This record gives sequence, C-alpha cells and structure tokens, in this order.
Amino acid sequence: MANYFKTSVILLLSFWLAVFVLVPNLLVLAASFLGRDESGFINWSFGFDNYLRLFDPIYLRVFGHSLGLALMTTLTCLGLGYPFAYFLAQFRTSLRPVLLTLVVVPFWTNSLVRTYAIRSLLAAKGLVNNALIAIGLIDEPVRLLYTRSAVLIGMVYILLPFMILPLYSAIEKLDRRFVEAAADLGAGRLRRFWHVTLPLTLPGVIAGSVLVFMPALGLFYIADVLGGSRNLLVGNFLKDQFLDARDWPFGAAASMVLIGLLFLFLSAYAYSLKRFAAKDDRQA
Amino acid sequence: MFVAAEMRQFQQIFTRPFGLAKGSLCKRVERECKDRHTGMDCRYPEHREVNLGHPPWRLGSGNPCRNDGQNLKLTTLTGGIDLRWFRLIAPLLILSLCCTIVHGKEQEIRLFGWSDYLVQEVLDRFTLETGIRVIYTTYESNESMYAKLKLLDGGGYDLAIPSTYFIDKMRKEGMLQPIDKDKLPHYKNLDPRQLDKPFDPGNHYSIPYLWGTTGIGVYTAKFELRTIQTWADLWKPMFLGRLLLPNDMREVFHVAFRVLGFSGNTTDPAQIRSAYALLKKLLPNVRLFNSDAADVLFVTGEADAGVIWNGAAHRIQREEPAFRYVYPAEGVIIWMDSLVIPKNAPHAELAHRLIDFLLRPDIAKLSSEKVGSATPNAEAVKLLSPELRNDTTVYPSDEVLAKGEYQTDIGASITIYTEYWEKLKAE
Repeated sequence: MANYFKTSVILLLSFWLAVFVLVPNLLVLAASFLGRDESGFINWSFGFDNYLRLFDPIYLRVFGHSLGLALMTTLTCLGLGYPFAYFLAQFRTSLRPVLLTLVVVPFWTNSLVRTYAIRSLLAAKGLVNNALIAIGLIDEPVRLLYTRSAVLIGMVYILLPFMILPLYSAIEKLDRRFVEAAADLGAGRLRRFWHVTLPLTLPGVIAGSVLVFMPALGLFYIADVLGGSRNLLVGNFLKDQFLDARDWPFGAAASMVLIGLLFLFLSAYAYSLKRFAAKDDRQA
Repeated sequence: MFVAAEMRQFQQIFTRPFGLAKGSLCKRVERECKDRHTGMDCRYPEHREVNLGHPPWRLGSGNPCRNDGQNLKLTTLTGGIDLRWFRLIAPLLILSLCCTIVHGKEQEIRLFGWSDYLVQEVLDRFTLETGIRVIYTTYESNESMYAKLKLLDGGGYDLAIPSTYFIDKMRKEGMLQPIDKDKLPHYKNLDPRQLDKPFDPGNHYSIPYLWGTTGIGVYTAKFELRTIQTWADLWKPMFLGRLLLPNDMREVFHVAFRVLGFSGNTTDPAQIRSAYALLKKLLPNVRLFNSDAADVLFVTGEADAGVIWNGAAHRIQREEPAFRYVYPAEGVIIWMDSLVIPKNAPHAELAHRLIDFLLRPDIAKLSSEKVGSATPNAEAVKLLSPELRNDTTVYPSDEVLAKGEYQTDIGASITIYTEYWEKLKAE
C-alpha cells in the first residue's frame, strides 16, 4: 500500500517537473538557436548568432553588473544576517518560534508592495530625508532614490530572511560543548568564533548565500522601481527582450547563459555539501 | 510601468477575504472537541471560535478547547483583521459571484491603456449608466503593449490606446479590427482637423482619444526658465544627475534627432547612430527613465527638469505653480493616442459602446480636464472653461504645432533603434 503511494507521488512529481520545468526550458533552449522575426516571434533559421551577440562588451557589462550587485547583496546579507541569527539562537527556547515568526511576517505582504514602500521611505520628501533634515544633519534632501545604493538596500531588505533562516538552523544545532571545550582550553572569544563556531556553521552560511545570491541575480523589479530603469541588470535585460524588444531568441540565449551560471553555482554548492559530509564521516 | 499594473493585481489578491479559511478551521475545532471529550461540550464554548487546533508553527498547548491564553488567535494569523464581518457579507458575496457567472460574459470589458490615462470617474460613470464593468490594465510603453497583444494574437483585451506610429504598424499587420462608425453616434463631435491622419487614413481602425505634445518641464525654483529653451539645453552640465526622461525609445531618440536637425522619423542608420552618440553624452544628466508617473516624481521632488508629456505638466502645474512647460525651439513632439479594438477582442460590441461613451462631449471634457491633455472633440472643447482652453500647455498655439512633428511607423528600422536603446540603457 505504502509502495503504491510512494510510486504515485513520485510519478506525479516527475510529471509536474517534466511538464512545467523541463519542457519550458527545452523550448527556451530551442528558441535560443533561432532567429528574430519582426511580425511574429521567431523565424526558423538555426545558428549561434544569439550567443555570439552576447559577447558584445555592453552585454558582458550587464552580466558583470548583476554579478557584482548579487555578490554585494549576499555579503551584506551575511554581515547582517549572521549576528542576527546568532542572537536569535541565544533567546529562550519558548521565545524563539515567536521571533522566527516575526522574521517571516513581512512575507505576508507581497515583495513588490514592500519595494514600493521602500521607495516612499527613500524619496526626496520621504521619511528618511525628513528625519535627517529635522535632526539638522542636512539642509537639502539627499538623493537616495534611483541610485545603486537604493537598489542594494531594496535587494538586501527583500532577501535577508533567506539568509537568516538557514543560518539560524545551523547555529541552533551548534553543540555548545565544543565552544565550552575551546574556552576551557584557553581560546579567546575571537578564536572560539573563528575556529569553532564559524566552521561548524559553515553549511548554514553556504546555504544562506546560495539562497540569496541566486534570486539576487534574477530579480528585476527592484532595480526597476528603486533604480529608475538605469544600470540594466540581467533580470531587466531579459524582461526587456521578451516584453519590449520582442527579441525572444536573444532573450532565450541570455536566459540560457543565466541558467548555466546558476547551475554552476548549484554544483559548487552540492560539491561543498559533499565535502562537509565526507569530513563528518571521517570525524565519526 | 508594468509594475503598476501588477501592483493592482496583487492588491486585489491581498484584499480578498481570508474568511473562507475560518469556517473550515472552526469545524475542525468542533470535531476535535467531540473526539476528545467523547461528545461532551467544551468548557469554554465562547473560545471555540478563536482557538486554532494546531497552527503550522505549533504555538500554544495544542488543545483547542482549553483557553490557557497560549493558543494562537485566528486574528493573529490574519494580521489582526477580525473576520466576523465575513459571515455577514458571505451571502452577498456568493450572490454577486453567481451574478458574475450568469452575466459575466456581457458585463465586462477589458481595457488596456497608459497609466493615469483613463479617468476612474469616467469609467465609474460608464459602469453606472450601462452596468458594464471595466477592467483597466495599464502599460508603460507602446512596445510592451504591442508585445502583449501580439502574444495574445489580438485577443484578451477589448480596447487599447496605442500612439500614432503603433496604430500604423498594428493596422498594417492586421492586428486591429475595423471600427463600425454606425455604432458611434457621437463620432460627429470630433474635430475634422484631428481626423484622417497619415497613420490611419479615414480612421477605419482608430478613434482619437486625446492628443498632446512632449516638451520640456522645468521647476523654476531650481533652474531659471531662460536657461532652458531648446532641446539642446538638456545637455548643459548644470543638469548633471537631475533630468527625468520618458522610458520611451522613440521619444528619447526624437529629442536627439531634433537637436541634430534630423526628422524624428528617420530610418537612416547613420543618423540613428549619431543620435545614439549624442544621447550617450546626455546620460550623466539623466537621473531616471520613467513614463509611469512623471507628475508624481516632480511633485515629490525627485526630478527638477526633464522631458515630459504636457498632460503630466498640466497636472504638476496645478500643485506647483513654479513649474513651467517649455516648447523647445527645435520643434515639439506631437502625439495622438487613439482607441483601437484588437482583432480578436472578446467583447468588440461593448468596446464600441465605451468608445461612443468617451466621445460624448461631457465625458470627453471630463477626460481632458483630469488627464490634462487636449481633446480632439470639438464639442467638448466648446464646453471647456476658458482657463483650460487658453492654457498654452494643453492647447499650444498654431506656430508651435506647425513646427512640431508626429511620429510615424519606421518599419524594420525599429530593430536598429532597439539595439541602440538597449546599449544606452546598459551604459
């Protein structure tokens, strides 16, 4: 009976993945080798032109921008998220679920709506500027909106929970006795953190970084709303190809490259997980 | 902007009542009470309503009937919103749902237009008078409107409002259906000077809705008016990081063409390339590209000068008297947005009714007043207050119009434009 259940669930899942993930991606792959058509969407000419066009320095720069921004986002999230998760794990056990729920509460509001909220915070006559003027730090509103920092703030705000949650679960599982043993052996705070806490929570750091980095590469509306449609990112570029320029094959080629990049990162992640598992085995 | 339309959709989703979940949870609570107490009643029946059995994150004691103050209240789940009202209006909701199912097919019209372009008051009045519900979806650029309609093969929407050159293009590609003027008794109100234009001779496919100009808007509290009288002035170093440009490829290129002395509709690749080179020099001055809510950006102090549609300029002037709209000496951009019915519109009949409604003088007057653009409706112009009729921002003088230029379809050259436009944005 259980076996039937298992088989049917697996079948259903495979069917789901095949129809909604595999086939669409194969279609994108196929489109990326075809040509653009002015009045339709594609014409049936086969070639690698779309991929070659991507090597234009302008588009390489778009990819470079996006990678840089995603990296900055990940590092900022890590810098903010690690202490956050660490202190979260120090609270009473009965309080922790409530605090975790509070981390998740913002998800009840759509991220686009929250991005608009950030826009009104950062606006020239927004809360941040008004507060700074009221304190007397500045006389004229500072241009916060439509800058790269605005995009970075938005990205970090939206993606921070994805960093906190895996970090929290890694830090919570951390066996205190190791830290205590290190303290007994005379290690200072910094050494305890660097040689004991950090290595033991590294899987959480990596998982969080992957969870932040990958969406950061693809998000386009934050750059649109907070960046003022300047400094194109890969996500915006893809959206423009499909919606505005209607160059589907070119857009498809660019998204294949993006998928390839993500695949690379994921395999690096899987490899690192395997290494951790091997290490654990050896220690056991 | 695409985002504005999406926002509206999300708002609809998020204001949808959460109440349905409540009924099911309450039932569950009741059943569990009986199981546990072998049919006996709970000790605190009044708490049954608000207690949850097992919230997903397992807060509370787990016994739904015992009120020990730890059980999660349902209102916590819904963010503090009390859902008792739902029981009261549930029958009404179900009734209205049934009505929509029964009459849905004839009671709804899907409109695809620029944001802030159809006045909600006008649409509400239409619904009130005819009982037809209007679903208004917005787009930020002609290109994205075209791409969506193309994808839907001229279906999905009943009415769209493309600009001149896109009407030309869509008409030639057979994406539009002819408009039956016998169904439009108010068609006669239109000013003949605004009809029979080259992008749609005889107006077989398009009915003018509003027309206007694209010029320079400047906040005179920040910049002196005399320093900015031509398109070329936008390149002055004093505007470093201050300008707002429309997120519209044709408009931005048009500006550069006029500075270089070319036609705004050029198809010469060399001219397009030199316009791109010129625009690249303008980029340091550009703060953002936006076509969604230019007026809001000026009023909230995000932009101090820029290329702007006269309708938005008129709306800003109502709030900021120090704001001025300038007709650049090189010649202004003139545009006209017309109502068209896509080829496979599901409710073409209703679309005709809405077009005729919009052509009614009192309604056209209202649209022009609220949007701040000029109406092509001669009868409506007569009804306008002299203030608005003589406002040169909205109704420019004949000399200005004589120097201005419409945008027309540029055919396959659009790919050259697109390529340079992308390079410009990626810069």
